[in-house]
Amino acid sequence: MSAMRTYSVAVVILGGALAVALLSLLPAEHALHVPGYVVALLGKYLCYALLALSVDLVWGYVGILSLGHGAFFAIGGYAMGMYLMRQIGARGVYGNATLPDFMVFLNWQELPWYWGGFNHFGFALLVMALAPGLLAFVFGYLAFRSRVTGVYLSIITQALTYALMLAFFRNDMGFGGNNGLTDFKDFLGFSLQSDATRAGLLVASAALLSLFYVVCRMLVGARFGKVLVAIRDAESRARFLGYRVERYKVAVFVFSAVMAGLAGALYVPQVGIINPGEFAPANSIEAVIWVAVGGRGTLVGAIIGAILVNLGKTIFTGALPELWLFALGGLFILVTLFLPKGVVGLWDRIMARRVPAPPLVAAPVRQPEAGE
Amino acid sequence: MKIGKTKLALAAGLAMGLGTASASAEDTIKVGILHSLSGTMAISETTLKDVMLMLIDEQNKKGGLLGKKLEAVVVDPASNWPLFAEKAKQLLEVDKVAATFGCWTSVSRKSVLPVFEHDNGILFYPVQYEGEESSRNVFYTGAAPNQQAIPAVDYLMNEEGVKRWVLEGTDYVYPRTTNKILEAYLKLKGVPAEDIMVNYTPFGFSDWQTEVGNIKKFGSAGKKTAVVSTVNGDANVPFYKELGNQGVKATDIPVVAFSVGEEELAGLDTKPLVGHLAAWNYFMSVDAPENKAFIDEWHKFTKNDKRTTNDPMEAHYIGFNMWVKAVEKAGTIDPDAVIDAMIGVSVPNLTGGYSAMMPNHHITKPVLIGEIQADGQLDTVWQTSGLVPGDEWSDYLDGSKDLISDWRAPLSCGNFNTKTGKCGGETVATQ
Amino acid sequence: MRKFLVTCALVLFAALAANPAAADPVEDILTGFASSKYDDIEKSIDALAASGDAAAPAILDALSAGDLQVSSDKKLYIKGDDGSLKEARSGADATGEIPPGLKAVKVNNRVRRAIDAAMGQLTLLSPDPAKRLSAAASQFHAPDPAQLPAVESAIAKESDPAVKRAFEQARAAIILVKSDAPDADKIAAIGLLAARGDEDAKSLLDAATASGSPAVADAARGALKGIERSLAWWSAAQNVYYGLSLGSVLLLAAIGLAITFGVMGVINMAHGEMVMLGAYTTYVVQQAVMVAAPGLTDYALVLAVPAAFLVSGAAGIAIERSIIRFLYGRPLETLLATFGLSLVLQQAMRSIFGPTNLQVDNPSWMSGSMDLGGLAITYNRFWIILFAVAIFALLTLVLRKTALGLQMRAVTQNRRMAASMGIRTGWVDSLTFGLGSGVAGIAGVALSQIDNVSPNLGQSYIIDSFMVVVFGGVGNLWGTLVGAMSLGVANKLLEPVAGAVLGKIVVLVLLVLFIQRRPRGLFPVKGRAVES
Repeated sequence: MSAMRTYSVAVVILGGALAVALLSLLPAEHALHVPGYVVALLGKYLCYALLALSVDLVWGYVGILSLGHGAFFAIGGYAMGMYLMRQIGARGVYGNATLPDFMVFLNWQELPWYWGGFNHFGFALLVMALAPGLLAFVFGYLAFRSRVTGVYLSIITQALTYALMLAFFRNDMGFGGNNGLTDFKDFLGFSLQSDATRAGLLVASAALLSLFYVVCRMLVGARFGKVLVAIRDAESRARFLGYRVERYKVAVFVFSAVMAGLAGALYVPQVGIINPGEFAPANSIEAVIWVAVGGRGTLVGAIIGAILVNLGKTIFTGALPELWLFALGGLFILVTLFLPKGVVGLWDRIMARRVPAPPLVAAPVRQPEAGE
Repeated sequence: MKIGKTKLALAAGLAMGLGTASASAEDTIKVGILHSLSGTMAISETTLKDVMLMLIDEQNKKGGLLGKKLEAVVVDPASNWPLFAEKAKQLLEVDKVAATFGCWTSVSRKSVLPVFEHDNGILFYPVQYEGEESSRNVFYTGAAPNQQAIPAVDYLMNEEGVKRWVLEGTDYVYPRTTNKILEAYLKLKGVPAEDIMVNYTPFGFSDWQTEVGNIKKFGSAGKKTAVVSTVNGDANVPFYKELGNQGVKATDIPVVAFSVGEEELAGLDTKPLVGHLAAWNYFMSVDAPENKAFIDEWHKFTKNDKRTTNDPMEAHYIGFNMWVKAVEKAGTIDPDAVIDAMIGVSVPNLTGGYSAMMPNHHITKPVLIGEIQADGQLDTVWQTSGLVPGDEWSDYLDGSKDLISDWRAPLSCGNFNTKTGKCGGETVATQ
Repeated sequence: MRKFLVTCALVLFAALAANPAAADPVEDILTGFASSKYDDIEKSIDALAASGDAAAPAILDALSAGDLQVSSDKKLYIKGDDGSLKEARSGADATGEIPPGLKAVKVNNRVRRAIDAAMGQLTLLSPDPAKRLSAAASQFHAPDPAQLPAVESAIAKESDPAVKRAFEQARAAIILVKSDAPDADKIAAIGLLAARGDEDAKSLLDAATASGSPAVADAARGALKGIERSLAWWSAAQNVYYGLSLGSVLLLAAIGLAITFGVMGVINMAHGEMVMLGAYTTYVVQQAVMVAAPGLTDYALVLAVPAAFLVSGAAGIAIERSIIRFLYGRPLETLLATFGLSLVLQQAMRSIFGPTNLQVDNPSWMSGSMDLGGLAITYNRFWIILFAVAIFALLTLVLRKTALGLQMRAVTQNRRMAASMGIRTGWVDSLTFGLGSGVAGIAGVALSQIDNVSPNLGQSYIIDSFMVVVFGGVGNLWGTLVGAMSLGVANKLLEPVAGAVLGKIVVLVLLVLFIQRRPRGLFPVKGRAVES
């Protein structure tokens, strides 16, 4: 993968988002005006893409199939949600300056201690990154040290997100129970309902995605990345060669969790709600499927997969409301059967057939075979 | 530059996907239907989609509205709350619907609320809920707690002489709020704290052995005991099966439920449950000509004469007819005009009376208490003598007892504090 | 028997004679049933019971079944199951036209209770011991000092020891609430109730501790202590039973997965949908039996077991042939394909059967409960425990003792070696997957008895099933058994302490920690196969 291709991906994402954002600010009558609906959709897709990128980093390059990445995403989202709740201040329906509405009508007398500090964006930002990171560190340290691998790891990551879902459903936790956190007013002082803020959030999501894409690309291109692939393909051999496999795994797992957390944090102001449903195990499985559809272990595939699948979902839930699950389910089956390397693999195959000699770009480095 | 092309293709796909949705004739009035057709809530919400299609079909047979045909736009938010917001935005901004009928859970309503307020849409919400909300853009045609919970408790207290209470609910906001209101109400009526047991279980809970065992134990203390159940959806069937099998009889410990209607009972053998109660504003068994006509129409439309009707369906029936009347009154589908025209509109309900839209965007309803029959129907054993107006801000909660809602000018406020004389929150600013 | 009848007749005669027949007061009482007020109906019931009229039991029976009808001229009729009408008082067939304005007399819980109490009085001397037993129970639950003489005369005539004990307990209950009973009688009554030792006895004794006489109050307190101690033991035992029952449900849900996932290594996310297929099959079979042979409805469930096995098994084989076999060696990708498949199957069921719950009835032999000491054992859960254990035993036998089982184990342990020995590995794969799916279908039959039959049925068990298999140790059926039972019991022991939600969270966290300590579960399979 050449540096040029890396940067061109980042430029396309950022440039595209910037263009859409600017066009959305045109007056509604203008021929090139992009409706706010599309801006909100794209912003959501990009957050999903970042989540997919984080899954691909651990699954595609280290072989850790996490079925619990939705948990990190949701925790980041909750941290952002708590900040946004505190920003409402006395504008809630009950006019209570300290307590969020859901606490007022359930008779809470004071703000629980863990809500402290969330009125500062800096603190909230820290939590958005650190809380998922810390959870990933504790979980990863325990799991990788005891050499829990393969399906066992997948199942306990699933147990983790499932347990968190049940916990956040509990009203006694003080996170709004099933309703979660909603009714946000503004973000850093900008009204969340205004088109400009939404355009800004879209650009911010694109920027974060591009940034992490470049960082991931550099990471896997460096010596560190080669070790990761070695661990994926032959963990014991890597260990015998003297690499501290656990440390590599924990490091990547934590980095990936932080990425997922930040994706969740940007997702919340754009969709306007965070609730325990985001912890649902099915969501984490879906994130893995985006990666598989796009092409595992390619990074760019994760982004394409997330956008493609969600675009399909958007179209089909509107156009074929009663049949779309057949389409989506069928897609998952067909992709795994016929496109083991996802859309990117298909693309490469088509290009290889059509263009005998690769142009300008240096001969593509074959990705090592996945641990299949 | 391969990736660039991919992106372009994606953009084209996006444009196409959205294009198909918006391309349709302008001489119809579009009505959005925002009910989950897949996922966990499909079990309840699919019926409401069907009833809306039937109502729209009927209206078209009568000649449509303002000389135009009505066109239903059905989307599937798939029991996924952020997807609800996305689909609401699509209905309002892409399909440009005149009104939307949808949502079941409170969280889905909370999720779409900012969208409807920002895009100035109209949402009809047909399900009984916890109250504590009044939005200019939402019309609540289901029951508020005072139209369901409190009359039911009164009935048990007076008619059955209940002294000891089990408040059994699923752990989410509707049961929590309802139980808070009921606790306050029961204490006001002199029930000591040790005679109230509150218990919560998770969504979709299926192993009720311990809970039913506890209810039996709590009920054997010598005082007449009743269970007030706010157990939600899927968890009800295993709950009632366990009640039946552990021999909790309605004559010993009656269970009154607020979320169990004909639709839920259709999945159950109700013979062991005869005499347990439910409180609603409508039962399929109600003997009224409107109801008979509605049921006949429903059976014809679904081509299945076993399909049940239930309370949220009646709420959509009332809401839809109110909307039709308001649009006719306003002579336009312009949301501001329709919202203003809605207040005061009165249409027949299915229990032989009229329901009216009040300034707080809730409606007046009769409250019925019914007992479960062996054939799966609920038979009215008691009903309020008149109509009960929905009270969105409960008088029994500290936070909300001073609030009122009135969307008529000049007040035009969803949460006016009568103590401070101020309209709280931002609801006004979004107009 | 004859003696009873004679006594009955005598008692009735005495009751009738006590009412100087002016205009036949019973007819007057009966007109009360025409009222739409529950108060009036309740009063009429009490009066009818007090009158001791010979037709009273039949009338009350009809009333409680909803078969008592009243015409607009206030005449009562009893509607038979075949639609025939009988005059309520005389029992004669109603002649002539259908009486005008005929409608059922309304019943609510208060009325039902009045009926129960009245029947308790009327059937004290019934020739049927079961009726006498329930009469005794209703006297016990609603002790009425005015009934003391009637109960005492019933005791004197009773010959059945179990019924006699019930009457004696009823008498004790009445004496305890009777304010002017002598202390010695009350203390004797307390002794009798202490021997009964259940929650009902406890609540009566609770009330007795407030008695004016210190001797009675002391005796009641002493008896209470004993009851509370034994109740605490029983409640612990009850929790363990609940746990075993939950465990057997988990076992049923997981055991098919223990084969497809545990033995074959396929991460089968559509496993829950195989369970769901089984539940839907149960529904279809029950409907078919109801139409074809209504008399056999109670045994439809037995028929459903093989049917569900075949349906889910066939579905499993079809899935294996069309999807899974292309993905061997890529376990994580089977996850993705089967997840897609689960979405398709759910939607398919929704399209075919509709999104609502379907009604699968409990057969009569699976309804209700029995008391075993202080344990309340519900029949449906009891049968499910037995059923789970039977399925487990059968499956173990198949894997251990049959040729198919041997080949299955051979293929999963060393595919190439097995192939060189002449085993048709592809065929064995299909059958193994079919077996696992079929067993999941059988689980669906059992789950249809306690849970919703809806497209979401499978989803609610899939995560728990994976936990059970992983906890027990992949590839080990015994591990699945022990895993399911210990998770069930742990859950149910925690539930009274921590609540249902927190209990489950604690179990999950413990499970995660356990896997960290023992990465291969309770009973790890040793050998090379699992390492690859």
